[in-house]
Amino acid sequence: MRAWDVLTFTITVLSRQRFRALMLLLAIGVGVCSVIALTALGEGARGYVLEQFSFLGTDTLVILPGRQETTGGMPPLTGAATRDITLADAEAIRDFVPGVRRVAPIVLGAAEIRYQSRARETIVMGTTADFLRIRQLQRATGSNLPDADFDQAQPFAVVGGKVQRELFGGRSAVGHWLRIGNRRFRVIGVLSGRGDSFGLDLSDAVLVPVASAQQLFNRHGMFRVLVGVHPGRNRQAAQRQIEQLMQSRHQGERDVTIVSPDAILAGFSQIMGSLTVLVASIAAISLLVAGIMTMNIMLISVRSRTEEIGLLMALGASPGQVRMLFLIEAGSMAAAGACAGVVAGFILVAVGRALYPEVPFQVPVRVVLAGVGTAVMTALFFAWIPARQAAALPPVTALLKGH
Amino acid sequence: MSRMRAADSLYWIYRSLVASPLRTALTSLGIAIGIAAVALLTSIGEGARVYMLGTFTQFGTHIVAVTPGKTETMGLSGLLSTVKPLTLEDAFALRRLPFVTAMAPVVQGTGRIESPTRARDANIIGASHETALAWRMRVMRGKFLPADDPQAPRAYAVLGSKLHSELFPSGGALGSHLRVGGMRFRVIGVLESKGQFLGFDLDDMIYIPARRALQLFNREGLMEIDVVFSAKTTSEHMSSLVRERLRKRHGREDFTLFTQEDMLATLDRVLTIMKVAIGALGTISLLVGGVGVLTIMTTSLQERVSEIGLMRAIGCTRVQLALLFLGEAVALAVIGGVAGLLLVYAGLIVLALAVPGLPVLLQPVYALLALLLSVLVGLVAGTVPALRASALDPIEALHAD
Repeated sequence: MRAWDVLTFTITVLSRQRFRALMLLLAIGVGVCSVIALTALGEGARGYVLEQFSFLGTDTLVILPGRQETTGGMPPLTGAATRDITLADAEAIRDFVPGVRRVAPIVLGAAEIRYQSRARETIVMGTTADFLRIRQLQRATGSNLPDADFDQAQPFAVVGGKVQRELFGGRSAVGHWLRIGNRRFRVIGVLSGRGDSFGLDLSDAVLVPVASAQQLFNRHGMFRVLVGVHPGRNRQAAQRQIEQLMQSRHQGERDVTIVSPDAILAGFSQIMGSLTVLVASIAAISLLVAGIMTMNIMLISVRSRTEEIGLLMALGASPGQVRMLFLIEAGSMAAAGACAGVVAGFILVAVGRALYPEVPFQVPVRVVLAGVGTAVMTALFFAWIPARQAAALPPVTALLKGH
Repeated sequence: MSRMRAADSLYWIYRSLVASPLRTALTSLGIAIGIAAVALLTSIGEGARVYMLGTFTQFGTHIVAVTPGKTETMGLSGLLSTVKPLTLEDAFALRRLPFVTAMAPVVQGTGRIESPTRARDANIIGASHETALAWRMRVMRGKFLPADDPQAPRAYAVLGSKLHSELFPSGGALGSHLRVGGMRFRVIGVLESKGQFLGFDLDDMIYIPARRALQLFNREGLMEIDVVFSAKTTSEHMSSLVRERLRKRHGREDFTLFTQEDMLATLDRVLTIMKVAIGALGTISLLVGGVGVLTIMTTSLQERVSEIGLMRAIGCTRVQLALLFLGEAVALAVIGGVAGLLLVYAGLIVLALAVPGLPVLLQPVYALLALLLSVLVGLVAGTVPALRASALDPIEALHAD
C-alpha cells in the first residue's frame, strides 16, 4: 500500500464521519490548549515576580541582626536583637572584607514630614550613597546622598517622587528645607520611579544619612546592612568572611544572619516552576479523557466498517496493514487536534500579552512538544485495542457481516 | 401511546446503555475522571483553606491589634523605628478599656539564651502576664509570667517547649537561671507545644516581661499591642474604643488598627478564590468528558434512526423522544459521576495513608454537588442529540437502513 493511498483513505474515512472527527479534534484541542495556556500563565507569573525582585541584583548580600537556630523558617526579620550591628561593624565590613565593593547600612523608621503647611507620614530610611548604587536607583533630579563617613550626620535628604508630588505640588523639591520629626533637612535629590525594596515603596520615602536617622529615631543598631560584592567575585566566600569578621568583632558569638537574595529567589523560582508543572499536569488529565474518547470512537469506527475491512483483507491487505490504517486514522486525528490546540493556546497567550503587557507570558518549546507528544501517544495507546480488533477479524466473516 | 410510563422510559434507557456495554463504560469513564479531578482538587483546596484558617483562629477571633505608624507598609510598620512609638503605658491604658479581657504587648527579637550547660539562638518575646491567655497558650509545667508592676517586673522567663528541650535536655528547668543577652532570668514555666505559625516556630521562643525586652533590645516602642475583648461587643465597637483612647493619648492618629475578624474575612476570601481556581482546573477534564458524551450520543442516534422512526410511528411524541435521549445522556454522566466519586474516595484513602497529616476531606455536600455537576454535564451534552432525534422526520426515519 502506498503512502498516498493511505493518506487518501484516511481523509475519505474522516470526512465520512465528520462530526465524530471534529468532536475528537475539539477534545484533544481543549486538552493541549489548556496545557499550553496554563504553562504560559505559570511561567508568566514566575517571570513577573522575579522581575519585581530583579533590583536585588546577583551580587548583593543582606545582613540582619540576630540569629535563630531553627532552620527552614523565616530569617529574623524584626531587626531587634540583643546585640546590635553598629556603624563600626558596617565600616569594618567595607574596609576589611576582600571582594566587598559597597556597604549600605540601613536604619528604617516612620516619621511625619512637614513642608510649610503640608505634612505626610512616610518611611524614613537612614543609609549611605551606596544604597542607591547597590539598588541601581535612578534620580529624577538633584544629587545622591554625599559620600561622607558613616557617622557624619548631615542634614541632607533625598525624597521619593510621591513625596515630592504630595508635599511640593508640581514644583521641584530640590533646595528646599523639610522638617522630619523635630529636625530640618535640605532636599538635595529626588528619586524617579517606584523602586520597591522589600515591600517598601521608596517613592513614598525619604532617604537621609544613616547617622542622622540614628539621632532622629534614637536608635543605635542597624535594621539591615546591604552589601554589594564585586561582580565576578565569589559571593559565598564573601559571605563566609563577613560571618567570620562579625564573629570576631562580637566576642566570638555568631549573632547575625546573612541572606543572599538571589539564593532565596532561586528557591522561589524553583517552587513556582514545580507548581506550573503540577498545574499543567492536572490539565493534561484531560488528554487521558480524550484518549478514552479516542478508543470509544475507534471501536465504533471498526464496528461500522467491518465489511470494508473484510474487503481490504480479501484484496490482500495483511492484518498488519489493517492495524496500521486504524492507528494512522487515530494518530492523524490526534495530531490535527493537538495542532489546533497549539494554535488556540498561542492565541490565548497573545491575548494575555495584549491585556497584561507587564507579565512575561511565554511557552517553552519543550512544553509544546510534550503536549503534542502526549496527545498523540495517548491516542495511539488507546487506539491500539480497536486497531488490533480490526486486524484480527477473519476476512470471510467480515465480508459476510454486511449482508 | 399518549403517555409513557416512567418505568418504561427507564427500561428503554437501560436497554440502550447495555446494548453496547463497552461504549457505555468508556463514555462514563471519561466523565468519571473529570468528576474525580474536580472533587479531589476541590477537597484539597478546601483542606488547605480549613488548615490555613485554623492556624489563624488558634489565637482567637476577638482580637484588635494596634501597630505604630499610619503608613501601611505590608506588615512592616511594627518593625520600624518611629518618632512617636506605642509605649507600654499605651498598652496598659488600653487594658483598662471596657470589654477588654486580656492584653498582650509585643516586642520580638532574637538573642542568645544560655542555660548553665547549653546555649541557643532563639526568638525572644516581650510579653505581659496575660499573653498566654490572649494567644491561647497552655502552660505545661510551672506557671506563666506573674502580674507584676509593669514598670519593674521581676526577671522571670517562660520557655517554649522546643527551647526547653534544647536547653534542658534532662529536665530541671523550673527555678534555674538563664542568661538572655547578658541579663539573668529565672525560669518559672514551660509552655505546651504550639507548632509553626507563618514560618515562626512558636516553640523555639522565650517569653520575658515586655519592659525587660524593651531594655534588652534598646527600644522605646512596642511592635504591636494585641487587645482581646469579650464576645459581648463587636469588633467595630472595640476598634472605635481603642482608636478613641489612643487618639486622646497621642493627640492624633499615628497608629494602625487591624481586627482579627477583618483579617480572617480577607484571608477566607482569598483562599476560597484559590479553591475555586484549583477546582476549575479539574473542569477541563470534565469538559472533555462532556464532549465525549455528546459524540457518543450523536453516533448512537445515527445508528438508531430506524428505531426512532418506529417509535414515532407507534405514537411516541417528539417531546417524549427528546426526553428519552436526554435521559440516556444524563444516565451516562451520572454513572460516570458515581464512578468518579468512588475514584475520589479511593484516592483520598491512598492520600491519607501516604500523607497522614493532610486535612483533605470530601464533605457529603461536595459529593452531592459533584453528582449534580455530572447531571448538568449530561443535560448539556445531551441537548443537541435529543433535539436532533426529535427533529427526525418519522417516515424518512422508518425508511432508513
